[in-house]
Amino acid sequence: MTWIGKIGRVGRIVEPADEAPDATAAPPTGVTGSLQLRHVDCGSCNGCELEIAAAFSSVYDAERFGARVVASPRHADGLLATGVVTRNMHQPLLNTLKSVPEPRVVIAVGDCACNGGAFAQGYGVVGSVADVMPVDVEVPGCPPTPQQIIAALRTVTGR
Amino acid sequence: MPCSLGAAALSGGLTAAFGIVGVTLGLSAIFGGSRDLQIDWLLPLAGVRFDLGPLGGLFVAATGAVAVPVGIYSVRYAQKEHWARFPLVMLPLFVAAMLLVPAAGSVTTFLLSWELMAAASLALVLSEHHRGAVRSAGAFYAVMTQLGFASILLALMVLSAAGGGDAFDTIAAHVGGISSGARTAVFLLTLAGFGSKAGLLPLHAWLPRAHPEAPSPVSALMSAAMVNMGIYGIIRIDLQILGPGPHWWGLTLMIFGAVSAVFGVLQASVATDLKTLLAYSTTENMGLVTLALGAATLLSSYGAQQVAAIAMTAALLLILSHGAFKTLGFLAAGSVLAATGLRDLDKLGGLARRMPGTTVMFGIAALGASGLPLGAGFVGEWLLLQSLIHSAHDNNTLLALMMPLSVGAFALTTGLGIAAMVKAFGVGFLARPRSPAAEAAREAPASMLTGMALAAAACAVLAVAPVLLGPALKHVLASVPTVGGGAAGPTLGTYLRLPGLAGSMSPGLIAAALVIAVLLALGLSRWGARHRPVAAVVPLWACGSESLSSRMQYTATSFAEPLQRVFDNVLQPDTDVEVTHFAESRYLVEKVTYRTLLADPVEHRLYTPVVHAVTTWAHWVRRAHPGSVHLYLAYGVLGLLIVLVIAR
Repeated sequence: MTWIGKIGRVGRIVEPADEAPDATAAPPTGVTGSLQLRHVDCGSCNGCELEIAAAFSSVYDAERFGARVVASPRHADGLLATGVVTRNMHQPLLNTLKSVPEPRVVIAVGDCACNGGAFAQGYGVVGSVADVMPVDVEVPGCPPTPQQIIAALRTVTGR
Repeated sequence: MPCSLGAAALSGGLTAAFGIVGVTLGLSAIFGGSRDLQIDWLLPLAGVRFDLGPLGGLFVAATGAVAVPVGIYSVRYAQKEHWARFPLVMLPLFVAAMLLVPAAGSVTTFLLSWELMAAASLALVLSEHHRGAVRSAGAFYAVMTQLGFASILLALMVLSAAGGGDAFDTIAAHVGGISSGARTAVFLLTLAGFGSKAGLLPLHAWLPRAHPEAPSPVSALMSAAMVNMGIYGIIRIDLQILGPGPHWWGLTLMIFGAVSAVFGVLQASVATDLKTLLAYSTTENMGLVTLALGAATLLSSYGAQQVAAIAMTAALLLILSHGAFKTLGFLAAGSVLAATGLRDLDKLGGLARRMPGTTVMFGIAALGASGLPLGAGFVGEWLLLQSLIHSAHDNNTLLALMMPLSVGAFALTTGLGIAAMVKAFGVGFLARPRSPAAEAAREAPASMLTGMALAAAACAVLAVAPVLLGPALKHVLASVPTVGGGAAGPTLGTYLRLPGLAGSMSPGLIAAALVIAVLLALGLSRWGARHRPVAAVVPLWACGSESLSSRMQYTATSFAEPLQRVFDNVLQPDTDVEVTHFAESRYLVEKVTYRTLLADPVEHRLYTPVVHAVTTWAHWVRRAHPGSVHLYLAYGVLGLLIVLVIAR
């Protein structure tokens, strides 16, 4: 059996897809293909990063729902922000947002990004992501599971 | 005394005029057979004899072709750099001497013009003698070029004694009577003498010293034309007159060539001085030429004449292409030096905006030196590779061993050559300036750009239209029947075809396809973008931080660091990292100092002990002459007495 035949026989092995959730945020106008996201770690404990990595891994395969992580905000349609906004990352976060072409979406992933979580009121903390920029979608959880992240992304991509 | 524009124009004009004369004479000698000229009164006893054949014609034409752009370029360069009168006089003289070397028809004339060339180049290297580095480079060059001359002198004396005459013709006619011992002696001595001029390992040490310290037009002449004379000597004396040589001649040439090529390119890829990089690249390219010559000799000695002819053509093409791109490279480096006063790549950068013309010129040179398609060096390197791959060895152990090894050395050389040239161009000319001097750079004047454009045109011809050189190379190849046995070389037409072999290639069509593809892509992207909104101008993405600075860029040192690490055993760098902590906490770093010193390991191992021994001996001898006139008179009387006693 050739390897191409094997691929055809085995098919996709990923976590089964749930029903598409209702749209909470429209994809940025003009985005007709997939949603390209730039991830910014504003001061996360890296728990959310692990879950995002899992969500885009071959097991959960978030890319089949039309979301993708890119290397530069210039290539992106939106931001994927994790962690509480620390003083050091405040300005870089704003700079990154400025570099994403409009229209754009901002997705806050994890409790810290949504409301400060365990680090709210800390001495080096500016606040949640919503305190420094308008947020379109919030994904609660500490950390959110890959399914939760994918469900939130699907509310934007509409697939 | 700074020179006036008139003096500079006279010197540059004469240089270019000699160049035109050289090209004309060379071409007429290639196509019209040999030219003889005998002037008996010019030199006592032997007389001066010129005999320009097709082989010499090629080298005369190549030297002339280098001199024309250099002459045009040097007018404004000399004025900008405030040349004194002396180098202005020496520049055309140097070109004239170089034109005489391949035209020489007898041993005496050859040695005379060789020495003229060496002395003129030495004087030019020393033109900025107020700088200590120049004096040191000059001393190094003087000693090495004179030792090389002594070696050639000895070799040619043996040759003319064994060959029964002074003229090369006479020697060639009596070559059958030369004993194998004399042949071996001549071959080894000429290899040392001509090899040192060509910059072959381990006699390359003068190149990376003299080339960077000489004024740039002189560097261009030395690197693109003078080192060729070493190769000319090897072909003329060893292959044309003495050949066909035994197997080990070809083997020796191949080994020296391959080692020089790899070592040269390795040093070039870690060099941070623009002109040192180009100088080591000269060692690399002359190594490749010698490798091709060796392959041609070895294959010819085993009867594989067709493949030998391909290797020989590759050697000749490589000489021409190296002359073209190295002229351009050194002239462009000279423009940078004149505009910024810098040769250090770690301090350059950002010249693409400030010196667009020079940047394009250096880009063409770098493309040629990296041996990629559309570069000047590509056709020659392709031919060399084909001849190395396609040499059928028929159970011959030596060929079966040497050819794959040479392919390996050649591949390593080309790969590292690309890295070296990407570094020189990318770090030196692109991105942001790394120093105020580079920031204040201004474009070179039009006449300097014109000189460079001529050399760039030669690069373009070699890259896409080698068809123009086909007839000339055929004549030259036929004049060296001892290598290739008069077999038809490769056909340099629109398609390069190799007789008896499967490979063929068309540089012109590759270029045409590339141009069409670029135009098509441009047109399609324009057409696709016709409904898009107007592009917005935004600041550069700096990874979230406020702005980019030149400190964030790659430097030549950091670009070459992985290579330096891989070849640690060969290069033996002396690196030193010094970390200073804050007084309050040793977890916080105040500053990090990184220092790396790359000495040439061959020079270090081989030359330092010799220089040391000579110095010790000189100190010892020095005691014999303390400066007393009486003592010197006593020496004279003693010497006279000894002579009288012996000659009694």
